[in-house]
Amino acid sequence: MNRSLAILLGALALGAAIFVGSYFVSQRATEICCANPADDLSWLRTEFHLDDAEMAHIRELHEGYLPKCAEMCAKIAAKKGELEAALGSGTNINPEAQVKLNELAALRAQCQAQMLQHFATVSQAMPPEQGRRYLAEMQKLTLGTHEQLEQSMSGDTGHEHHH
Amino acid sequence: MKKENFNSADAKLGALLRESRSFPALPPRFQQNVWRRIEDAEAAALPASWLDVLASLILRPHFAGAAVAALMLIGVFAGMQEGRQMARHEAQMNYLAAVAPHSLR
Repeated sequence: MNRSLAILLGALALGAAIFVGSYFVSQRATEICCANPADDLSWLRTEFHLDDAEMAHIRELHEGYLPKCAEMCAKIAAKKGELEAALGSGTNINPEAQVKLNELAALRAQCQAQMLQHFATVSQAMPPEQGRRYLAEMQKLTLGTHEQLEQSMSGDTGHEHHH
Repeated sequence: MKKENFNSADAKLGALLRESRSFPALPPRFQQNVWRRIEDAEAAALPASWLDVLASLILRPHFAGAAVAALMLIGVFAGMQEGRQMARHEAQMNYLAAVAPHSLR
């Protein structure tokens, strides 16, 4: 009885070790093999089944968009610095800080509009069905976080936010 | 005297008969099979619990080999699926980081 139990437990441990070992080795190998961290656009090619011509066009659009995006990011970062300076060490939001806050929000909205416009342009460079899927996916990924945050603050979760 | 002659003639005859008889060759693994049958018969005679049955099944080379192969295959397949998902997610995040500033997400 004891010998049989020991054999069974040993076999279970060995089986688990074999399964876990082969799982992690193949997972890591696949991850290393499939990942292409050098190319930011590798996801587009595999996910939306794009050919070389479509990829070349999208790469062109992407490279045209990046400087605009960087410029907008620099403006936002500068405005954030101005806002922090305006806020200072006080405990109240002074009128100057309020102005900076509005300007920061406007810059963010402008950046977001530019980003969504880029997604729309890229989606048009794809086959129609893939383009629709890309646009929906990108909107979900970029706007979804805000929606989740807003939903969590609204009555959906049973927590009312009164102003 | 006559009886002694008959006995020695029988012995000679017996020896001649033994020499002339050809024994067929034994089948391969004859001895192992005999022992296995003896062991199986002894094992069948003992009342075994389900645990003993399971343990004896696990110890059979064919079963153990098949189980190891199956576990490895399932592990490799599941790992590949997970690895593909992780690589896909990583690539998606790379793209997103390039096109969408973190402050807008």
